[in-house]
Amino acid sequence: MKQAILKALLSHYWRHPWQALFLLLGLTAGVGLWSAVQIINHHAEVSYAQADSLLGVQANYWIRNRSEQGIAQADYIELRRAGFRQIFPVIEGQVITPDGQLISIIATDLLALRQSMPEETVDQTFNGIDNWLQLVQKPYRAWVPQQLADEFALIQGDQLQLRDGRQLPPALIQAQTQQGRRIFMDISAAFTLFDTDQFNYITVGQLTTEQFDLLTSLLPDSLALVQNQQQLDLSELTQSLHTHLSAMSLLSFAVGLFIVFNAVRFSLWHRRETLMNLRLMGVSVKALISAILFETLIWSLIGTVSGVICGLTIGNWLLPGLSQSLFNLYGATIDAVIALQSETLLLAWGITLVGLLWALAWPMYLQLKHDVLDANSPTLRHQAENSSRQQLALFSLPLLIMAFILFQTMETAVAGFALLGLLLFAAAWLLPTLLALGLKFAQACVPKQRLIGRWMVSDGWSQMPAFRSAMMALLLAMTANLGVGTLVDSFRSAFIGWLEVRQNADIYVNSSQSNIVQLLESEQAPGKTSLWLADSHRQIGITTRWQDQPTLVNGADTRAPDSLRFPLAQWLGDTPDDALALWRDNSNYILANEQLHYLGGLKLGQTIQLDTDQGPVDYQVVGFFYDYGNPKFQFYLSYEEVAKRWKYHYSRGTALWLKPDSTSNGPSSRQQAEKSFLANGINRADWISQDEIRTLSVNIFERTFAITAAMNSLTLIVAAIALLASLLAIMQERLPEFAQWRALGVNTREQFLIICSPLLIFVVIAWLLAIPLGAVLSWLLIQKLNIVSFGWSMPMLWKMAPAWQLGGLVLVIVIVTLLLSLLQLRRRLPDALAELGELS
Amino acid sequence: MKIVVTLLLLFWSSLFFSQLVVAQDVFQVLRDNDVGYAEVKRGVPLIFPQDHFPHPDYRIEWWYMTANLKDQQGQDWGLQWTLFRQSLSPDANLEGWDSDQIWMAHAAVTTPDKHFFAQRFSRGGIDQAGVNQLTGSNGFDAWIDDWRWQSASDTLFPSTLEFNVGEHKVSFELKTQDNWVLNGDDGFSQKSAQGQASYYYSQPNITLKGTIKTQGKTTRLSGNAWLDREWSSQALAQNQKGWDWFSLHLNDGSKLMVYQLRHDAENKLEDDFRSKEGLSTNEFTAESWISGSWIDTTGEVTHLGKDDIKLRSISARQIKTKKSRLITLPLDWSINLPTLNRSLTIKPLYDQQWLATSFPYWEGVVLVTDDMNQSVGNGYMELTGYQLAN
Repeated sequence: MKQAILKALLSHYWRHPWQALFLLLGLTAGVGLWSAVQIINHHAEVSYAQADSLLGVQANYWIRNRSEQGIAQADYIELRRAGFRQIFPVIEGQVITPDGQLISIIATDLLALRQSMPEETVDQTFNGIDNWLQLVQKPYRAWVPQQLADEFALIQGDQLQLRDGRQLPPALIQAQTQQGRRIFMDISAAFTLFDTDQFNYITVGQLTTEQFDLLTSLLPDSLALVQNQQQLDLSELTQSLHTHLSAMSLLSFAVGLFIVFNAVRFSLWHRRETLMNLRLMGVSVKALISAILFETLIWSLIGTVSGVICGLTIGNWLLPGLSQSLFNLYGATIDAVIALQSETLLLAWGITLVGLLWALAWPMYLQLKHDVLDANSPTLRHQAENSSRQQLALFSLPLLIMAFILFQTMETAVAGFALLGLLLFAAAWLLPTLLALGLKFAQACVPKQRLIGRWMVSDGWSQMPAFRSAMMALLLAMTANLGVGTLVDSFRSAFIGWLEVRQNADIYVNSSQSNIVQLLESEQAPGKTSLWLADSHRQIGITTRWQDQPTLVNGADTRAPDSLRFPLAQWLGDTPDDALALWRDNSNYILANEQLHYLGGLKLGQTIQLDTDQGPVDYQVVGFFYDYGNPKFQFYLSYEEVAKRWKYHYSRGTALWLKPDSTSNGPSSRQQAEKSFLANGINRADWISQDEIRTLSVNIFERTFAITAAMNSLTLIVAAIALLASLLAIMQERLPEFAQWRALGVNTREQFLIICSPLLIFVVIAWLLAIPLGAVLSWLLIQKLNIVSFGWSMPMLWKMAPAWQLGGLVLVIVIVTLLLSLLQLRRRLPDALAELGELS
Repeated sequence: MKIVVTLLLLFWSSLFFSQLVVAQDVFQVLRDNDVGYAEVKRGVPLIFPQDHFPHPDYRIEWWYMTANLKDQQGQDWGLQWTLFRQSLSPDANLEGWDSDQIWMAHAAVTTPDKHFFAQRFSRGGIDQAGVNQLTGSNGFDAWIDDWRWQSASDTLFPSTLEFNVGEHKVSFELKTQDNWVLNGDDGFSQKSAQGQASYYYSQPNITLKGTIKTQGKTTRLSGNAWLDREWSSQALAQNQKGWDWFSLHLNDGSKLMVYQLRHDAENKLEDDFRSKEGLSTNEFTAESWISGSWIDTTGEVTHLGKDDIKLRSISARQIKTKKSRLITLPLDWSINLPTLNRSLTIKPLYDQQWLATSFPYWEGVVLVTDDMNQSVGNGYMELTGYQLAN
């Protein structure tokens, strides 16, 4: 019996495969986007957990030069000869491609590394390399991850050309654990590439207490054994970004559910008769409920499997962008190959089931509860539509109140996203009421004698139930699009403005060696007028931990051109210049980045204590400066103060301002500068011009937000599918009705107008609502969430142009879906007409 | 066949290290063409102390020390310490990280009941490993990481040997008064009829004493060590699959070194024949390339050729290798020296003395008995090139 009931219920999908398809599409799209992000997030977490390993070898500690000046080869060899085999020298650096892309290189002694690898890792790592000794022999090999190879169209053995004309070793296209987007190579190749004879640092694996003591005693004073806290730091630093992603994925899931909802509504409409007949045949409500639950279970399983498959595909597609963002922002590396976790699968099934119970089982149950015969009455249906609209509007009120309360107390990114969710859903649930109001208003506007006009508007009431959820989905997608778009635009504008102030020197020299100091000393010697150098700014710094977070303390020349224009977000005194003057003239004052204010809880005027070589020293915060793109805490003191307080400070590079070119035909200041650099042993790779560094920064910025843009577009696509599904459903549902119209003499154009006009009214209303809602969303994202998550504040930049563009885009989507559905209608109308003839 | 050889040549260095394929044939490096490398020639006199030091013009080279030891209870122990050098290209580049010299070391400790081993790798040119004159003296220094064999004298003895295998910390003093033994024809040691050869000399009469410390427990040991020095550019012929090598200290003070290089084709033919006859296929008495040296109690060296040695495997047994894979090895042997009228039986102290290193092989302590089954000495045996069972 039960089987028969189920068969009767499910037979609907055989008769209307389109419905099954849309149900599946909605589920797949929603679950797919959600699980994609879930998989990515989980994948990233796993990668962070491995952040303390290099090619499968643990790095529990680092040996670093206290002045970040690198480590001499002899120091490393001495440790090896003392029996430390768990240590590996590392050179890390970046190279620039001709098109201005930054590529990170990591190198170690592959021969030493290989013998310390666990056996399984050796097999995995070197599997497929026919001659691995060539990795440690000239011309060496550059291990390029597949994805990077694809980007640069590299095939096995190709040599990647660099901006300065040099080439990387021949490519070996193979990704390794923890490689991310970095290129691996043997350390010997890196010596040549970076023209150095020192290591950046040495990684140290597990040490017994005895070994720890011995190692510490063997290290020269200039070197320090530091615990590797990368794993912890990364998880903490990246948390906000992952929350952002999860929030966007949940939004996509919600939008997907709207499609499901829509499909369900239609399938219910078609199954009214079946349900009614079954009840009339004496099937109990209980039996029907279990059949419906079983149907839900089947759909949840199908939806989960197809959604997760889709999620894996999307995840793999989004991963490169995300891993680039994570690397640029946090220096985190993510493996290139995604693995599916069973927890993700179960979780996906869980939320699909819950979503389906809400979108499929609940409405079906409601349908059942209605009186057997009344359920089919058009009057009752109209009433039900009205009351459900009102119910939705009523439900939205508590959501709004909750959102308001949350707004007052919001302190974390999660709370922020909960607030956004509440607000968006409140707006979505209010939408049907607004649409109804819109229709009423249009009805009032149409003159009474314009019959077609009135018909056009009033047909909207018939379309309303079908479009309701599609419009909600569209509203959510448009709002997200506008909100996130404004966030990105505001950020871009603030970032570029900030770059112009922060990076206004003409050339930046990265050389930490003494060559640049000598060059500057000779150019700025008393009595000498440099031919090219107008001003310079050499910065130093130390890395420490503040509130147990990685923190940078910089020493800046307080009178350098860029220090005079430090972009402050908050300051002590009347003007930023007052605060800067205080900082300049008194070494007890300190500048802190905004992150310290928003995330570290530091207040303006507060006194903080920093651990220096001479013990703790107090400083008073006189200003907070903008520090976009930096996830870490950062302080600024004067150069002299840092040099005095910390013996082992390191060079943070030198900024140079050039003299304006003289009018004569001699070499330009830049040419003279570059000539002097080369003459003083500063390599081409060690300096970068303002243009280059800005292009690079903007590139990084754009790539960072690429994933946001991708998620945004995907959500919009899902909404477009929802719209198409609704339109097709309407056409299908009302086919007999349309046939009747045709029989009454309504022509195609009129029919088109009647169908289109209400839809256009709905879309315009949704669009109009999306604009203020998008503005609120972006305001919340910029003023609240961004600050809570990253500690970056920026002015909101609202423009109408994106709203117009979005409107245009949605219009195109509407027209395309309309045309598609009308084509479908045209194909099926003759059959419907014939059917109509038979009926009559 | 040509393709197979070409492929083998192509893959040689991957086979050199790859643990995945070691079972196939890691010893290919010893067979590789010596084009461009220095050639081993008959009649070139060995010069000391110069030849104690590396010969980077030649492809491969080793400093091979084995020792048979007794503890205070009279139990048998053994030590192995070997440093290998390989030139990856004929134009040796000795200095810096670009160096094409690769160093590898194997060490093993045979305790009365268990065998332990370790291996090390290092690139040359960076002082992580090497064989040099001891800094600031005429002495000798051979090391890789913290494993070290050092002598203040360029005669190599007296010297100290320090290394560790897992938890075993090994520290010994080595002495000898004896002259070097030049194997083969004054140090020119032919390895096949096709002309493959090496320079090969030994010091079979080293006395040593020292300690092995394990987890706070110190064991005092003393005994005899044997040093082999060998370098070549192509030590094996293409059809030589592996070798069986013996260095024996006999109780009367005489020493015996015997090796046979097994010919692939011959082995195969014989295997086929034997399996047809229903005989064990593991008894190798093939027409291999056999050679040896007999050093009598006075230090007099007699070169032993094919007719002077009858080497026969008595029985083969299965032992475990890496990942519990099995290998069948001829572990018991008989050596007959008709011209010297000696007949010896060789049996391992125990079977499980396998080195699952990148070049895997059996190397361990053996006990020597005579016809009457009386103990007449001990020594080391090395078995290479046998196929792992699947």
